[in-house]
Amino acid sequence: MASSLHDAPSAAVNGTSAAAADSKSQVHKKPRLYADPSPPLFTPSDILSEFSHHDPTVARINNGSFGSCPSSVISAQNDFRLQWLRQPDDFYFNQLQPKILQSRTIIKDLINADHVDEVSIVDNATTAAAIVLQQIAWGFAEGKFDHGDAAVMLHYAYGAVKKSVEAYVTRAGGYVIEVPLPFPVNSADEIVHEFRQALQRGKQNGRRVRLAVIDHVTSMPTVVIPVKELVTICREEGVDQVFVDAAHGIGCVDIDMKQIGADFYTSNLHKWYFCPPSVAFLYCKRSVNNSDLHHPVVSHEYGNGLAIESAWIGTRDYSAQLVVPKVLEFINRFEGGINGIKKRNHECVVEMGQMLVEAWGTHLGCPPEMCSSMVMVGLPACLGISSDRDALNLRTCLREKFAVEVPIYYRSPKDGEEGGVTGYARISYQVYNKAEDYYKFRDAINQLVDNAFTCASLPNS
Amino acid sequence: MQHEDPRNGESDHRSSKKPKLSSKFITESDIRDEFSHHHPRVARINNGSFGSCPGSVLTAQRHLQLQFLRQPDAFYFNTLRDGITASRKIIKDFINADHVDEVSLVDNATTAAAIVLQRIGRSFAEGKFQKNDTVLMLHCAFQAVKKSIQAYVTRAGGSVIEVRLPFPVNSEEEIISEFKKSIEEGKSNGRKIRLAIIDHITSMPSLVIPVKELVRICRAEGIEQVFVDAAHAIGSVKVDVKEVGADFYVSNLHKWFFCPPSVAFLYCKKSTSSSDLHHPVVSHEYGNGLPVESAWIGTRDYSSQLVVPAVLEFVNRFEGGIDGIMKRNHDQVVKMGKMLMESWGTNLGSPPEMSAAMIMVGLPSRLCLNSEEDAVTLRSHLRDRYEVEVPIFHQVSKDGEEGVRDKDGFISGYVRISHQVYNTLEDYEKLRDAVNQLVEDGKTCKMLYTE
Repeated sequence: MASSLHDAPSAAVNGTSAAAADSKSQVHKKPRLYADPSPPLFTPSDILSEFSHHDPTVARINNGSFGSCPSSVISAQNDFRLQWLRQPDDFYFNQLQPKILQSRTIIKDLINADHVDEVSIVDNATTAAAIVLQQIAWGFAEGKFDHGDAAVMLHYAYGAVKKSVEAYVTRAGGYVIEVPLPFPVNSADEIVHEFRQALQRGKQNGRRVRLAVIDHVTSMPTVVIPVKELVTICREEGVDQVFVDAAHGIGCVDIDMKQIGADFYTSNLHKWYFCPPSVAFLYCKRSVNNSDLHHPVVSHEYGNGLAIESAWIGTRDYSAQLVVPKVLEFINRFEGGINGIKKRNHECVVEMGQMLVEAWGTHLGCPPEMCSSMVMVGLPACLGISSDRDALNLRTCLREKFAVEVPIYYRSPKDGEEGGVTGYARISYQVYNKAEDYYKFRDAINQLVDNAFTCASLPNS
Repeated sequence: MQHEDPRNGESDHRSSKKPKLSSKFITESDIRDEFSHHHPRVARINNGSFGSCPGSVLTAQRHLQLQFLRQPDAFYFNTLRDGITASRKIIKDFINADHVDEVSLVDNATTAAAIVLQRIGRSFAEGKFQKNDTVLMLHCAFQAVKKSIQAYVTRAGGSVIEVRLPFPVNSEEEIISEFKKSIEEGKSNGRKIRLAIIDHITSMPSLVIPVKELVRICRAEGIEQVFVDAAHAIGSVKVDVKEVGADFYVSNLHKWFFCPPSVAFLYCKKSTSSSDLHHPVVSHEYGNGLPVESAWIGTRDYSSQLVVPAVLEFVNRFEGGIDGIMKRNHDQVVKMGKMLMESWGTNLGSPPEMSAAMIMVGLPSRLCLNSEEDAVTLRSHLRDRYEVEVPIFHQVSKDGEEGVRDKDGFISGYVRISHQVYNTLEDYEKLRDAVNQLVEDGKTCKMLYTE
């Protein structure tokens, strides 16, 4: 069924059209893992209400950066905060650990991990990267690895992760190889090909490849990477460990730990899984030597396993980690649960992306099957985006002059290339979005083009 | 801000906003309102563990949280950094640091310890330190810090010396003497002491340590760097980092400085090596200096770091501002400590001048508190049956030493009572009566296991 965004935006997109059409079947009896009896599916007006705290004047098409959280979950979070403030000692001794364990157990089931010991909860993927990379640094320091042993990562790896690799791998004596990826990209094969070549480079001169860091969904530019295949190649080529950085994973693409087969896998829950800022899980396959993984903020539980260490890293607000059960309740009030949400988000973002490229005469950054709930949309070349600074300035201009929030990516032109598309917007679609958000963006760009606007005219360019 | 001449009497504390002459001071009823979210029936005499935060600051925090949720990108680009810098500037003035670059905000003292110790670990790994180079710490250092030393020093090949402090303690001289002895021991066999970690106020048992004198001794003895773990200090004792003279100084703001959980400052004296300090959670700002690194460690709720201005407003509603609060807390906790001691026939763990807003009070020996487990059991019992929240310390008796006695035996257990602005006399009477009841009923800790 093609989502009919132009006719009846939210209803069709959010899977409530069936309910709207037949109110008698409103209460669906679905098998529920955790909540019983089943509450009714959300109506469009329910959804508006759940996200009424969002700035109503802003076309919010950047769910990828900071995520979003419905008000019923925020409310649950505030309850936990108040419980702590009311009597923190009691909460610390009697509530905190069981509730973190409950969240971990839910996540374990969602991601198809074997054992809850494999699931640790941390602040964000950035923290997870530090945990995985710190043990690599120890490997060098303690002589387990040889100076010059390699780590492989994608050229489009997230900036923070690249810095972490510099801090923990390069500094410790490791050699880092970046896998160049084409962009725009046309097929998963292109990515697989580049990856194989990079691994060969890694193994030159008798070097061991100690770690491969692979994004599941790259950030900028955004593309869904064929992780399962790349993990298989890593195993074939004797890579010691594979770490999948799936910051955008859960709630955005299908994730199954056993199917993907990585040693480490991290995903933020506050991006696409409706948790408040901030909470992420780090999965560590049990066959890995887990005794050597430690949270870098060492506290009382040091040595008791990463999951236990991570559940107490000093006095802090852990409330974001405790609302996972509430989030599950929220998600299960959408038709098809998280799978329904993912499917509709994907279909809508592709539809909106195609609407924009038609309006602007540009192209998408990848084929639809290689995008998730975000897609790169080419911006008209006449805007003259010719640097990262231009991209940032254009983003600020869109925010301040047009009330459109969307991240912009600058692609440097290839040798000899002239007049091509160098700027891309990363649009996203989440349950609170509506067609008007994308029309607003379309019209803003069209207006800039009509006014013969170029980035060179912006301050700080 | 300049260091006030002590000959001019009690100085107004270095705060950037002085109380307006026309505004009235906060009343008892205002204070009750500000802490109305605390459990009304619990005698909350453990401000030391998790701190406390007034309603007006929580409101300011909620406002910031909603601002982020409303439009996070705008908040990230336009509000966050400036807000953190503003908080850092206030703290810099407060603690008499030279430059705001010396002040980083982190989650808590535990995080600060990881930052300082991770650098020690790197120094071993990179051959700057030799195997068995040493780190010195107090025996009663906070358990999390001890584990951090294990993770980053011992694992990297360093050795550790623990300074055993006497307890109960009678004077600062006892502490200084033990400290000097340990340094001698540390330097024997030609070992180099790379770092000394000194608590400003120990946690359990709680004592105010003469840090300025100990830092001076460290310098005189050629100890390379000194890290003062002052988790409890700000809002509880005067904090002047230049006077203390350490290389690193950390204090939690959510314990005694009314911030919400959680936020701490880490002061790092400018030096050639201070550029090599890094936050362990590496993000985009890696290499731009610790304060800037710490101000962005990925998407999280940074709101507790942004409410320092609101806290200053709150504190300045009290007569004498934070100085007034500290003085009254100290006077009251000593008074309450003496009241309990007299009622129970026991002792205080330290003289009043070695306590700040917390003090150790001996428990009647008849309770037979003989293990760490007993302490936990008694604490839970007081919480569950008497609605009294107070941490309990088990004093291990040293071989050959008699220890302090009450009329029935050795005093082997202490409560650590605290006083913060929300406490009332009834809180301590409740504790007094609970313990007296247990003694009257002939209870020992072992009996409480089954109840």
